[in-house]
Amino acid sequence: MAQDTVVFSARKIVTMNASRPSATHVAVREGRIVAVGSQDEIASLGGGKVDDRFKDKVLLPGFVEGHSHIMEGMMWSLPYVGAFDRRSPEGKVVEGVPTIDTIVERLQHAEKAMTDPEAPLFAWGFDPLHIGSISLTRQDLDRVSTTRPIMVVHASFHISNVNTIVLQRAELDRTTNISGVVMGRDGEPSGEVQGIAARFRVFRVLGSNPLSGNLSVDDVNRYASSCCVQGVTTVTDLHNDLADQTIEVYRTASRRDDFSVRLVPAMASVSHSPDAGIAKIKALTATNNDKLHYGIVKLVVDGSIQGFTARLRWPGYHNGAQNGLWYIAPEELPGIVAAYHAAGIQMHIHTNGDEATEVAIEAVEAAQIATPKPDHRHTLQHCQMADAAQFKRMKALGICVNLFANHVYYWGDSHYDLTMGPERANRLDATGTALRTGVPFAIHSDAPVTPLSPLFTAWCAVNRVTSSGRVLGKDTEALTVQQALNAITVDAAYTLKLDHLVGSIETGKYADFVVLDADPLEVAPETIKDINIWGTVVGGIVREAPRA
Amino acid sequence: MMASPRITTPVTVIGGFLGAGKTTYLNHLLRNGPGRYAVLVNDFGAVNIDAGLIAKHDGETMTLTNGCVCCSIGSGFLDTLGRILDGGTRFDHIIIEASGVGDPWRIAEIALVEPSLRLNAVIVLADASRIGQLLAEQRVGDTVRGQFDRCNLILLNKIDLLDRATLDKARAELVALRPGVAIIETTAHTLPGLPDGISNPASRFAATDAADHECNFRRWAYRRDGVFDRDRLEAALGALPPQLLRLKGPCSVTEPAHPQLLQMVGRDWALTPVEPDSSNDNDILLVGIGTANLPPAATLDAILDAALIPPLTTTAELNRRAVTSNI
Repeated sequence: MAQDTVVFSARKIVTMNASRPSATHVAVREGRIVAVGSQDEIASLGGGKVDDRFKDKVLLPGFVEGHSHIMEGMMWSLPYVGAFDRRSPEGKVVEGVPTIDTIVERLQHAEKAMTDPEAPLFAWGFDPLHIGSISLTRQDLDRVSTTRPIMVVHASFHISNVNTIVLQRAELDRTTNISGVVMGRDGEPSGEVQGIAARFRVFRVLGSNPLSGNLSVDDVNRYASSCCVQGVTTVTDLHNDLADQTIEVYRTASRRDDFSVRLVPAMASVSHSPDAGIAKIKALTATNNDKLHYGIVKLVVDGSIQGFTARLRWPGYHNGAQNGLWYIAPEELPGIVAAYHAAGIQMHIHTNGDEATEVAIEAVEAAQIATPKPDHRHTLQHCQMADAAQFKRMKALGICVNLFANHVYYWGDSHYDLTMGPERANRLDATGTALRTGVPFAIHSDAPVTPLSPLFTAWCAVNRVTSSGRVLGKDTEALTVQQALNAITVDAAYTLKLDHLVGSIETGKYADFVVLDADPLEVAPETIKDINIWGTVVGGIVREAPRA
Repeated sequence: MMASPRITTPVTVIGGFLGAGKTTYLNHLLRNGPGRYAVLVNDFGAVNIDAGLIAKHDGETMTLTNGCVCCSIGSGFLDTLGRILDGGTRFDHIIIEASGVGDPWRIAEIALVEPSLRLNAVIVLADASRIGQLLAEQRVGDTVRGQFDRCNLILLNKIDLLDRATLDKARAELVALRPGVAIIETTAHTLPGLPDGISNPASRFAATDAADHECNFRRWAYRRDGVFDRDRLEAALGALPPQLLRLKGPCSVTEPAHPQLLQMVGRDWALTPVEPDSSNDNDILLVGIGTANLPPAATLDAILDAALIPPLTTTAELNRRAVTSNI
């Protein structure tokens, strides 16, 4: 064995390779795995430097997050005001603020730290559904400042709350008559703003939109740091215009030896015509390096279930709300799908509601008939409401699915009470149905919409418990821990067509590991989210997670 | 609070489902625009302008030799519109294409809250050969119906493909959806200009173009000395026929007493305080624009006259106080 080989020994290596499920030693050379096995088996190769720093740790393949966004890296430059605890890229547990008073307190703290009195204060992560449907009003935010503009962006990213000074500067008052400016009981705007017109006006008076600013290398490094903290070694950025500046930032960041994650950006189909999009993806794919993997496209067909913008089949929303929005028209989708399919480009198609899922399945079916492509692996993203019949069609067509397991915890109660009703809420994000029908599947966070944390995502799929403690369809849809680990490693890699490179610890693949203090297969299933993550190994380079 | 006088740019939003003819209409407006138009489109590739008319093309923005610009919305609508407002070029009109599944009114609301803009019209196109089927369609029917909710004008397009009975049926479907809404029947070759005659933009083109441009619309001017009763004015504006698309101009009302600017688009109207303009001969000078089947000026005059103090009732008095109703 060459002298530049390093042999990591661990208490246990859970390989996620079904042919060799566990081991104690893994040999690494030039960033890739040379051999996996017992001490004796590895010794038979001869030579190599033994690194036993993980002798008390458990190694798994680095987690693969198949649906998250670079915005996770951008948001952490702003204060977090969500109801649940969340870990920052610095590894710090930022406590949830589950009341109006604690939200205001956190904002006051952030406001005091600002030096420029004119600079707007942005914050993120708020969701009234998580604090008993209590609204955050302009009066609440005025307690933070009456002179500095303040904007709190909801977890959904579609709604915001602003303070009175923002409303005044935007000239939004009791006479304003547009749908996106919500009025309070006093007849004046409450401070809640949503929709394109209100956002346009507010961002103009604030001078910027923190969500559409230019991406910086710092943002990408924060994203990579969050990945290290959460044990993620392959991460998506699943909807990006891929403007020249973004491409340059990704190129620069990914070429650094110490960049600690493999990044998989998906081009947003909406940003280009199919012809231009295909040409762009092909050109970008030619520039791929070990840590930057272009090649996929993202299509968004409908909105979100909890925002009542997802497209549902009959009988629609449980509470009678009117059906949601098409972002791509059902008759336009087949043309777009056919073009990317024929060009051999893998599609990731966002469909939350089951009507959107149906339209996407039909489009792939038509494309497969017109231009049969074996192993296309087009993947429906979220696909939260699909029933068994739809899963069977997916299976027949070779479609994969990436289910939004975190929704069970964060919005499961809303789905049970408001959007889907008991029966459909119990099969929300139907991982059990996917298993039974044999549809290849992953599970995801959609970070920053919910926290980046594959172990937590696995915990959601295993326990299917909501934030209020209600259990949804555990008997029929829950995964075992082993199955859930598959869905955050090798099967997530499969949905990205990267399972030949990452997702398991076996000879030939990248030496990408997550280093855990305990074995998820040994601890009680309800505690897998609490396992401490020591850090990661990416391409053989060890990185201890920061702990602030 | 007294609103400061501002120069505002009119905004027209063009909506309609896929295939209704939005792109053809936008191409028509770009080529024949009598003023300097900024046109924001979804599919840049579908814009079809003769190479000889293109002065500059930088990927995201196309500048035409007639002064119009066409911008690609891409996925960043807010950024695109922001760039136009901040770009330093003053446009006579901003035209925004809603997406085929979008609600044009949501975009129109921008012009209601952005002080540098004012809403001119929401125009929705309908493919006469399939609108009836689309309105009833299970998956997209609600989306299509919603697009007409707040429009001021429907262009019932592609009528050359249909016989009169089928056309009347399509028309009836739209009238049932929006009773009384203004409808113009069009083909790809008879698309109208914008109903923007009121602001009389400083056109860089000869007046002959403007005549063609407005052939589908009729103007109406209402000039009186006197004062409107606030409550009766509200009733009178509500009684104006739907063929009237816009009405705008200075007037005096009982409450508040300060001179006001009346602006009405479709059924929405507002009064905002203005400085008295000594160049006006009349207390009230309203100019309206409607479709070609706008009722006669005398009919319209009578509706507003009923709101004057005291109400004008006799022809003699009308003749005495009316300066002119022709333009």
